[in-house]
Amino acid sequence: MRDIIKLSIFLLLVAGVSGAGLSYVNDVTGPLIEKQILQNKIDSFKEVYPQSDKVENESATHLKEPHDPALKEVNIAYRGGVPAGIIYAVETKGYSGPISILAGFDIATAKITAIKVLNQRETPGLGAKAKESFFQDRYKNKSTAAPLEVTKSAPAKENQIQAITASTITSKAVTKGVNAAREHFASHITTLKQSGNHAVEVAK
Amino acid sequence: MSLINEFTKGVIKENPLFRLMLGCCPSLAITTSVENGLGMGAAFTGVLIASNIAISAMRNIIPDNVRIPVYVVIIASFVTMTDQLMHAFTPALYTALGIFIPLIVVNCIILGRAEAFANKNPIIPSVFDALGMGVGFTLALVIVSTFREVLGAGTFYGMQVLPETAPAILMILPPGGFITLGCLLGLMNKLQKKTA
Repeated sequence: MRDIIKLSIFLLLVAGVSGAGLSYVNDVTGPLIEKQILQNKIDSFKEVYPQSDKVENESATHLKEPHDPALKEVNIAYRGGVPAGIIYAVETKGYSGPISILAGFDIATAKITAIKVLNQRETPGLGAKAKESFFQDRYKNKSTAAPLEVTKSAPAKENQIQAITASTITSKAVTKGVNAAREHFASHITTLKQSGNHAVEVAK
Repeated sequence: MSLINEFTKGVIKENPLFRLMLGCCPSLAITTSVENGLGMGAAFTGVLIASNIAISAMRNIIPDNVRIPVYVVIIASFVTMTDQLMHAFTPALYTALGIFIPLIVVNCIILGRAEAFANKNPIIPSVFDALGMGVGFTLALVIVSTFREVLGAGTFYGMQVLPETAPAILMILPPGGFITLGCLLGLMNKLQKKTA
């Protein structure tokens, strides 16, 4: 009986000290880690929409009505106080798990500026190549007029994206995510342009 | 002299992966490239040294009956702290090694060294034991991942070494891990028989 109490108290002590240590480390590192994550996000935004001086998450205003569940965030990239581009965070289902993507669109040209695959769990050597720039570059400067299509051979039409060899499911998943963003962009670009003009007028 | 012994035994005679058959799960999972193998080895060695020191320092006060739960708590705390500290203070290192840190919790080599060595020996030999085991494990990971990366992706540490045409993708998929580890273990056993 006395042994049990002794052992329990020892375990309690060890767990207590570990817990205290962990909470101290968490206190010290928490704010720094948050800053890191934010910085990473800003850096990724810069990659998909380089010409902006400020990016704001405006999902609350632009994702109000029912929307494609793939859309996670709508970020507006401002240049000189005027909305110049939109950066969508989308998440789609790939071959072996969710794929999260950032897709940048330019308001003036209505084209895709760049996409970036943030996280994926696709097969190494096959679908995981979606993270490599040779594939992501295939989305650059695509028009937003028509939905993008995946093709297995070299693209013949403007809205075609060549799939990664032997990874059609991954390629289709990425394209589906970009298309969700494209659709939202195409249907909201007019209002966005207006809000842009509005901002210019206010600035004048 | 015995300190050098503690170090070298982990590298060759008691190599955790090839001889003790510990840590197979992370070894199979992450050895798809040499870079990953080195990263995992480095992160693992760091945590092993810290946990060996802590457990060796507490070896006389830990009651025998509850030693395993105490080890688990200590190791898990170290892993979590390492993860957070690296994330906060060495972001570049964290992006390279970060994904391996949580995997270390389930690495049985750390618990194995606590039970087999650190709880019976003073701190200094425990540090050398941890270093030896860490180097041995890293070496084993690099060997396995060299085979897998060269055959499966045609590259070594990201550099193209084989013609780009048709790497055997199978080698960087899970079956390739089992095949490589199996062949290497067979080879080691054969070599050892000859010398014995």
